[in-house]
Amino acid sequence: MSQLFPMKQVLGFVFSILLTTVALAVYFLDMSFAAGMTILLVTAFIQAGLQLVVFMHAGETKDKGAIYTNVFYGLIIALVTVFGTLLAMIWDM
Amino acid sequence: MDFFDRFAVPHPSLAIYASMAAIGLTVIAVFAGLTYFKKWGYLWREWLTTVDHKRIGIMYLLSALLMLFRGGVDAIMMRAQLAVPENTLLDAQHYNEIFTTHGIVMILFMAMPFIMFFMNFVVPLQIGARDVAFPRLNALSFWLFFMGAMLFNISFVVGGSPDAGWTSYFPLAGTEFSKSVGSNYYMIAIQIAGIGTLMTGINFITTILKMRAPGMTLMKMPMFTWSALIANVIIVFAFPVLAVLLAMGTLDRQIGTHFFTMDNGGMDMLWANIFWVWGHPEVYILILPAFGIYSEVISTFARRNLYGYKSMVGSMVLISLLSFFVWLHHFFTMGQGALTNSIFSITTMAIAVPTGVKIFNWLLTLRKGKIVFTTPMLYSMLFIPLFTLGGVTGVMLGMSAADYQYHNTMFLVAHFHNVIIPGVVYAMLAGLHYYWPKMFGFMLNEKIGKWTAWLLSIGFVLAFMPMYISGLDGQARRMYTYSEAAGFGAMNMISFVGAAIMAIGFVLIVYNIYYSTRYETRDISNDPWDARTLEWSTHTPVPEYNFAILPEVRSNEALWDAKKNGHVLFKGEYEKIHMPNNSGIPFIMSCIFFVWGFSFIFSLWIPVILTTIGIFICMALRSFEQDHGRYISVKEIEETETNLRGA
Amino acid sequence: MKIDNSLPLEYSTEENSLKILGFWIFLGAEIMLFATLFATYFTLENRTGSGPTGAEIFQITPVLFETILLLTSSFTVGLGIHAMRIGNKKAMISFFSITLLLGLAFLGVEIFEFVTYVHEGASIQTSAFTAALLTTLGTHGAHVTLGFFWGLFIILQIKKRGLTPQTTNKAFIFSLYWHFLDVVWIFIFSFIYLKGMM
Repeated sequence: MSQLFPMKQVLGFVFSILLTTVALAVYFLDMSFAAGMTILLVTAFIQAGLQLVVFMHAGETKDKGAIYTNVFYGLIIALVTVFGTLLAMIWDM
Repeated sequence: MDFFDRFAVPHPSLAIYASMAAIGLTVIAVFAGLTYFKKWGYLWREWLTTVDHKRIGIMYLLSALLMLFRGGVDAIMMRAQLAVPENTLLDAQHYNEIFTTHGIVMILFMAMPFIMFFMNFVVPLQIGARDVAFPRLNALSFWLFFMGAMLFNISFVVGGSPDAGWTSYFPLAGTEFSKSVGSNYYMIAIQIAGIGTLMTGINFITTILKMRAPGMTLMKMPMFTWSALIANVIIVFAFPVLAVLLAMGTLDRQIGTHFFTMDNGGMDMLWANIFWVWGHPEVYILILPAFGIYSEVISTFARRNLYGYKSMVGSMVLISLLSFFVWLHHFFTMGQGALTNSIFSITTMAIAVPTGVKIFNWLLTLRKGKIVFTTPMLYSMLFIPLFTLGGVTGVMLGMSAADYQYHNTMFLVAHFHNVIIPGVVYAMLAGLHYYWPKMFGFMLNEKIGKWTAWLLSIGFVLAFMPMYISGLDGQARRMYTYSEAAGFGAMNMISFVGAAIMAIGFVLIVYNIYYSTRYETRDISNDPWDARTLEWSTHTPVPEYNFAILPEVRSNEALWDAKKNGHVLFKGEYEKIHMPNNSGIPFIMSCIFFVWGFSFIFSLWIPVILTTIGIFICMALRSFEQDHGRYISVKEIEETETNLRGA
Repeated sequence: MKIDNSLPLEYSTEENSLKILGFWIFLGAEIMLFATLFATYFTLENRTGSGPTGAEIFQITPVLFETILLLTSSFTVGLGIHAMRIGNKKAMISFFSITLLLGLAFLGVEIFEFVTYVHEGASIQTSAFTAALLTTLGTHGAHVTLGFFWGLFIILQIKKRGLTPQTTNKAFIFSLYWHFLDVVWIFIFSFIYLKGMM
């Protein structure tokens, strides 16, 4: 039975629940917008990285270069799109 | 009869009735011809169900040529309307429809399939592969593109064409100002074609990354393959943006949401913003493969290796990233602050640098080369000065402060035609002449080809240079007429003459195909241009498995290496070859998509639901199907090879 | 067909490793798809017109349920792939079934949530904010729905055909998809709900 629950994945799951709990602090505790956003950004991106490496086995084959490049490339463009849009449509309008 | 009223064209004229008759007669003629010559079976077995990248490529080519003339007719009508002041050849509504469909047809249904044709036909041959990574997905990509294009084209005769410009900005494209189903066609037809393009992107990245011949490292890939890889990377990250945008446009128009409306919080500017997040990378999706073709052609006919291979690759990688950082320069005048405009001005200047690097690399390739002036080379030589001119006016437009003067004038129209025609269209024509013998086993006539290139260039200069001037004088784009007092008459008349000369050039291309089919010799070698890359190392016509033995590669000019340095490309014995089976599912599924799209456009919800279920059934069938492909035996390979060598 | 026994079954043929890389690239495209939706949502977030704001309609309880259901399902699908790799077909099918049930429960809560929104006067047609919100959530929900049927078909195929290079390949790719949906949900949870209720 225990071989069905590898340590790495169980720890990964516990950690992801933990991150969710930390993120919930912004709802239950009273804090500034900046502090709240910082917590959310940090927890969300760690959580995403966790899924990528622990659960999705992104780095297990010789294609890992292509896979990581693909994900980071997508991430950079996604961030540029989101923040560029906000800059043009709201912050500097 | 109320039900049928919705299919009527809201704004009919003689031209539209004539088109209806023409479309009807063509369809009847095609069906009758297929039946009379008993070609239905052939069509189904060899084309509709094919998964062979070469045949899919040829189908892309046919669609692109067809759409070139559809878009070209739009263009000549526009120039004719503007040739003299206060012309009444077209009314405002028809003019709006025509400039809208001209833009969409030329970019999405002509230039895109043209580059898809090159990628499909050339890339697997150039990397020494037997097919693409997902042959069946490739067929689905083509058929989705084709059905999207057809759906878009019937808008002219069923329900009315889109009329809000190819950018389809809201609120103009919203239901308030565009009441006909025209803009629904825009949203749905492009959506269907776009899904196909996205899948092509995924397919070709995987193919290029994983299926190269032994020895071909990334830095030993031919330049066209590099450009195709980069273009597909941009496709994968840009087309989802378009999909979301069109979906939101559809929701606004047909479900009554408020993304881009003028009330309840909607923000019309957001459409322009997201449109160009896709739209600017799209420009580079078109131009990079064109640069790849020029690189192949110039190095072949300068009889030299390409100068600055690494800087060519580096500049394309840089372009691919920067192409996502500049979109805002399409709407400098929309009201955002100086900071934002400055940032995007600077990124726009920055992206001109890698493009300039490429121009210098081509010039330095020519230096000390033994230049052979064939038709493809002639197009490339005309490309360099004309395109540079377009690039320079692009830098002018890229300066946000100055852009207030140029924005939405004919200056802009002149600029983007000046980069797209010498940049993309010439590359497509150069590539068409260059790869024609590999596809069909005979060359296109050189004399007619060179005449065409010169006619197009003279026509191009006459048609578009006057627009720079009339644009600076204040002629706005997309205006269906102007008064005599405005003083634009002379310039527009010159433009019309230029457009007519270009039209003659394009007709000459068709004549060349006809003439060469009849009279050109079939007795050509596998390598008629004395070229440098792998696609010329296999037989003409190319056997379905491409290479009987997979080549081994040592440099980025594998064939040249073999010809000059005695490198042996094909080592070893024949082995049986695994090939994918043909499948009807991509075609059938795309037909269902067509019906889905048509029903959606007219808000016929019951057929929409039924066809949606049909699409999912096709996907489920595919999931449960077990298809391990088939093998070509050694004996069959030997027979094919002997036949091809004998011929 | 060449089978390389040094790799897990799902990578064992050339075609299999092509499919896995191809699917990763598709996920790259999905990143941009959701990025566009997020860009739209953040732009329209405060443009509520005459409709309610986020703070007025968001409730922590259903959102927490959804998050825990989806996080757990991501864990169980990972365990399913682990079971598949050690060749335990029965455990693998059980884990996959649990995953799909959790997915179904997630969809149930989400539908309940949507119905509540509509009752509170926040339908998709109400304002720019509700349009962006419900389109983003709806796109994610549609992905989960599609994933449910996809996973179901894979379970049926594994029951019938066993753990072959083909079926394991499909199951592995499905697991990538499911984890990715979990990642997207984390961003929805953090930057739509928690930010909205902060």
